[in-house]
Amino acid sequence: MFLPGGVLTLLVIVVPLALALYISLLDLDQYSIREWVGAEFIGFENYVEAVRDSNLVHAIGLSVGYSALVTVGCLPIGLAAAVATQDRFKGRGLVRSVLLVPYVLPAFVVGSTWRIIFQPDGVANEVLGTSGLWLNGPRSFWALVIVQLWAGWPLVYLLAAAGLQSLDVTVHEAAALDGAGWWAKLRHVVLPQLRGPVSLALVISFLHNVNSFTLPFVLFGVPSPYDVEVLPVLTYVESFQNFEFGLSVAMAVVSLVLVAIPMAVYLRAVRLDTGRGQR
Amino acid sequence: MNRRQLAALAGALLLSTTLTACGSDDDPASGDNSGVTLTMLMGVNNIYPEQQRAWFTEVSDKFKAETGASVRFETFASANDELTKIQTSVVSGQGPDVYALGTTFTPTAYATGAFVELTKEDWDKVGGRERFLPATLGISGPDQEHEVGIPFASRPFVMAYNKDLLTAAGIDKPADSWDGLRDQAKQLTKDGAYGLAIGYADGFDPWKFIWAMTTQAGTPVVKDGKAALDGPNTKAAYEAYLGWLATDKVVDPAAVGWKNAQAIAAFGEGKAAYLPMVSASSKVSLDKSKVAGRYAYAVMPTIPPGATSLPAGGVAATSILSGDNVVVAKYSKHKDLALALVKLLTSEESQTSYYKTFGELPTNQAAATALGSDPALAAIVDSAGKSLNTPFTGGWSAVQLELTNVVVQSIPDLSAGKVDDAKLTGLLGQAQTKAQQALDKAK
Repeated sequence: MFLPGGVLTLLVIVVPLALALYISLLDLDQYSIREWVGAEFIGFENYVEAVRDSNLVHAIGLSVGYSALVTVGCLPIGLAAAVATQDRFKGRGLVRSVLLVPYVLPAFVVGSTWRIIFQPDGVANEVLGTSGLWLNGPRSFWALVIVQLWAGWPLVYLLAAAGLQSLDVTVHEAAALDGAGWWAKLRHVVLPQLRGPVSLALVISFLHNVNSFTLPFVLFGVPSPYDVEVLPVLTYVESFQNFEFGLSVAMAVVSLVLVAIPMAVYLRAVRLDTGRGQR
Repeated sequence: MNRRQLAALAGALLLSTTLTACGSDDDPASGDNSGVTLTMLMGVNNIYPEQQRAWFTEVSDKFKAETGASVRFETFASANDELTKIQTSVVSGQGPDVYALGTTFTPTAYATGAFVELTKEDWDKVGGRERFLPATLGISGPDQEHEVGIPFASRPFVMAYNKDLLTAAGIDKPADSWDGLRDQAKQLTKDGAYGLAIGYADGFDPWKFIWAMTTQAGTPVVKDGKAALDGPNTKAAYEAYLGWLATDKVVDPAAVGWKNAQAIAAFGEGKAAYLPMVSASSKVSLDKSKVAGRYAYAVMPTIPPGATSLPAGGVAATSILSGDNVVVAKYSKHKDLALALVKLLTSEESQTSYYKTFGELPTNQAAATALGSDPALAAIVDSAGKSLNTPFTGGWSAVQLELTNVVVQSIPDLSAGKVDDAKLTGLLGQAQTKAQQALDKAK
């Protein structure tokens, strides 16, 4: 069954990707967009400009850094929530639904709401007893981490909860018969079984954060404060404010490579690429 | 097949799946146009959404009666939407026939070369170039021979002031210099109210202040393709603008997080005496606010910071030339009909009715003159006549971004109550380099 899948892959992935790679080698801007095929071919100049003259390197460091922090932060919260809602109790369905709210809210709603919370005279400063800025300056980085963490942990929870559902009850019973306490059960029975779904959640979470545009855009606006000038926002600004389409696509290609690394590591780990499954 | 043909084919394949064709054969404005549908793209009006829909129907009906063709309106929600639509249409050579664009975006649109440059005959077909207020034609093209934009709506910037607060402080009229305004603002900052309401975190407001002050000082940020962002007058403009909050303390400290709408809200609450850099559209919010009936509009100061009179070479610009232009796409198969539509939209009658519905000032000379006699609008009409165009270069968007970026990166200092001289100089140096790079690429 190569043909349908092959054609689909060609149309959906290969053609756009090839176009993107080609455009990243052109001097494509507002002056040449109308006849873009004729835009001057400039080799790797866009890549050189992206690395040398723009904030790309800083943006990559920032994106990777905050995404890793958020992903690591999501893990204990998501797992704890999944384990806490595993046993039956009254109102469990409601609690499980409520826990998903941050994840299902549209990013611009999350962004707008937190934007209000983080105003200099907003709730954040009042509750924390702090003063000053959250949406600009060094603290803005932590504002981004907090908001992404708030919006992102339910994904870990969701996949961990799904993993827990598929755990065999008899294993629990056997562990209990062997006299295992809750911690031993969690440590030696539950967590090893969750490795697959949870690592998938972590990879998705990391990729989602690296690629997240709407939230930082709504929270901080453009031009973006230096401390939160993440990769997608930088790419957006080059395309839609400076009309440097070639340069912007070169940045997008770099970010593609960036997200491809954890993806490849993950695929390798779970052997999805060979179609043989995990074990 | 060579590489370019292959790329073109692939591009065409992709685009053909996402775009809809529009119109078919060439039709003159007269004759049988039944069955022809023109498409016009314009910004969605969030203040009067229902009225806008009604206006679309009204225009289409009128146009049908006049020419036999109908008009379909498409709207865009943001500048990003607009640009995406323009890009896809420009690349594929199909899409809306007529676009309404913001004035400062006109140079970028012109740079794409995708819009009709108006000849004398074309101008005649829209009712003549002389039917428009001369000032509104300032950003139609790089020069009179290469104009693409036909003025459609005017939204000059002015300053609102709280009449009660000024009277209480014994100020008889708003200052005509920025230093004077600062001094009045100091006098007005008391009893929980501040002298000025400023949206420091707005994505657009900051550059308009800097543009105005430097233009008035005779050293515009861009002149003859050269950027002057690191000059002493530009620095003085930033110092004045940032100083209002940092050192003069005449702005609410919370304003470091404000966008334009929050500044309007603060003024509406009666918590600020002056609200510079607003257009007539602020009237809608203010007339529903606590200061309804107690405020008025005045032109903003035209004497730059540090001066008591207009310096040599300075231009007493009250506002950037702001509003909407309409452009006709080169790929349109119905150019004459498109021009006939523009003629309808810019007639005295349409423009007067457009003002009454949406509060946007006419660009039609006769309609504007008739409105000028309304005292409530006097300042706004005055500012429309004294507006000055931003430089006509495809690189302007980048310059504008750099100007705003200096303010964004200065906000942490601003919040700490200072304007760091070394940091400001550094930021201006970087902004200068990037702005000049963008200008150098202009073709």
